[in-house]
Amino acid sequence: METIIRRVGGLEIKVLVANRGEIACRILRACKEAGHPTVAICAPNDEGSLFTELADEVVLLSGDTITETYLNQQQILAAASKTGAAAVHPGFGFLSERADFATAVSEAGLVWIGPSASAIEKMGDKMTARQTMRAAGVPVIPGEEVDGDGEDALATLRQAAERVGYPLLLKASSGGGGKGMRAVHEPGEFDQAAAGARREAIAAFGDGRIYIERLLLGSKHVEIQVLADQHGRTIHLGERECSVQRRHQKVFEEAPGPTMTPELREAMGEAAVAAAQAVDYVGAGTVEFLLAPSGEFFFLEMNTRIQVEHPVTELVTGVDIVREQLRIATGEPMSCGPLMIRGHAIEVRLYAEDAANGFLPSIGPLAVFRPPEGPGIRLDTGVREGDEVTPNYDPMLAKLIVWAPSREEALEKMRRALDEFVVLGTTTNIEFLRDLCDALPVVDGSTTTTTIDDLWPSGWNPPNNPMLEEAALLAAASAETMGLHRRNATGDSSGTALGPPSPFTTLQRRYP
Amino acid sequence: MQHVFASNDGPIEVALVKDGETYTLEGHSLTKHSHGRLRLLLRDGRTCLAHVAKVGDTWWVHLDGRTFRWERVEPGSSSASDEGGLVAPMPGKVLEVHVMEGDVVEAGEPLMVLEAMKMEHRIVASEAGKVTAVHFGVGEQVAQGSTLLEIEEAS
Repeated sequence: METIIRRVGGLEIKVLVANRGEIACRILRACKEAGHPTVAICAPNDEGSLFTELADEVVLLSGDTITETYLNQQQILAAASKTGAAAVHPGFGFLSERADFATAVSEAGLVWIGPSASAIEKMGDKMTARQTMRAAGVPVIPGEEVDGDGEDALATLRQAAERVGYPLLLKASSGGGGKGMRAVHEPGEFDQAAAGARREAIAAFGDGRIYIERLLLGSKHVEIQVLADQHGRTIHLGERECSVQRRHQKVFEEAPGPTMTPELREAMGEAAVAAAQAVDYVGAGTVEFLLAPSGEFFFLEMNTRIQVEHPVTELVTGVDIVREQLRIATGEPMSCGPLMIRGHAIEVRLYAEDAANGFLPSIGPLAVFRPPEGPGIRLDTGVREGDEVTPNYDPMLAKLIVWAPSREEALEKMRRALDEFVVLGTTTNIEFLRDLCDALPVVDGSTTTTTIDDLWPSGWNPPNNPMLEEAALLAAASAETMGLHRRNATGDSSGTALGPPSPFTTLQRRYP
Repeated sequence: MQHVFASNDGPIEVALVKDGETYTLEGHSLTKHSHGRLRLLLRDGRTCLAHVAKVGDTWWVHLDGRTFRWERVEPGSSSASDEGGLVAPMPGKVLEVHVMEGDVVEAGEPLMVLEAMKMEHRIVASEAGKVTAVHFGVGEQVAQGSTLLEIEEAS
């Protein structure tokens, strides 16, 4: 019998992934599955990273800093030209929401795997986005935009604050990640907060324009995944709840939302689709909303790229979002059928950080990195055993995602998975995440954006367990006596934090 | 067999009892190992598997979902931590330096700003005093635990 290998529609296109770490791995693998050849770019201090092994070709960038490497548009475009790449996938972070890069990629004759520069621009400026959304009939948080960024704008802002009412939030129009943002609880705090927000915004974004939003206490962060192709179809893939955040960064995300109703999903989905259509959106994007205790929802912002937490949506909808991005970019219609949500998915972000010490980033070797396994468990990782965690990049190492038929079972699976996850040599937030899975608001689904601060107002500490600690001491002392470390050790490691610890001091590990 | 480990609450002395291939401590026993895994029988009757690794002088132990770490103190050595200095709580780059040698500072006054992995961390004076040394300048990389500056307490 003759075997026919046939591509189902679409064309083969060489994709350059302008990113690193976990998301680069995710995209490179999706390209491989779709039959697209791949190019990775790699900073000198990233050589040997997992993602570079997943690409067909690797272009070594020059430079020491992020600005000189992963943010260097010229170098990245030169790499595309040198390798004959025909498309650029920006991932998230780095250049993913830079309209000028989207334009530069298109002008170089390459396919930009993302929305148009104009859509990025309209959503990137938060004041413009609010105005666009209002015009499109999408509810925005009550508040006011104030033009200008001079000293006199502060007086106008103060008057606007009186109309909006306290407590309120000051936000930088070019802002993101909590920079240029201040909560103001009473008029007396206003002047200082406004001056601080403006100063921070100018320093971080070169743009001191500030707007005001009413501070909606006790709200949930609920976002809708949207997809739009070049054939006029715009759909949503339901919601994710990502309320649990520390320092404005999400750590625990789930789909569907634990308090969501079909009616609310439909209303939020419609609003999200309207938001995307208002800027002629193409590709994958996320419309973020605040869901107030009253059940009202308000547009927060739109992220014009793939998001860190996209896997929870993939697991409950059965849609491969990155694969759809590739389809859409090459001009094919998206392949999704009607929205069907099945079971429950939870994602936690594994950070190299010390949760017991203000979530400060940590570094070190991943002497042992043994992720959990089993049905319903997905690991999106940028690292593997033997890698070194350095201070050069974001401390997110991997994402652990579980799926189960119900929310309760998904939480049980996540607890088991986190208990099994062994990382030795670098401090991680695994125990914090495990503790979070037992916290009442997480168990009953009543999480809000202040849950972590409410649960641990003076900081988190690992639960005290002297019995287990003694058993662990027995393990350490026995291992020392047995000379386990000497089996493979060079024995010359200084043990100080100053030099990179030798990976050879770790144990030989094999699993049947 | 005696081992000493360092902890935040001071040194921990561990006196192991070895009987054949079994090690015991405080009612827990450790029976065997393979490929860096140790089988433990806890004193509450549960059995569990420990994963261990040594990095530098520090033993890392994963047991029952918890991760512990202790630095092993070599017999005869003494701890030489720098009590008077202000040390870097994380590895990173010096973003700002607000003081010079000889400056008199108040408690709570910002001295330096470090940046690592997109995060800023402010180093502030814990007590009033005089800056006697500044060891790093703007743009320099610092390792976790490096002494950044030294302050002589006001008398």
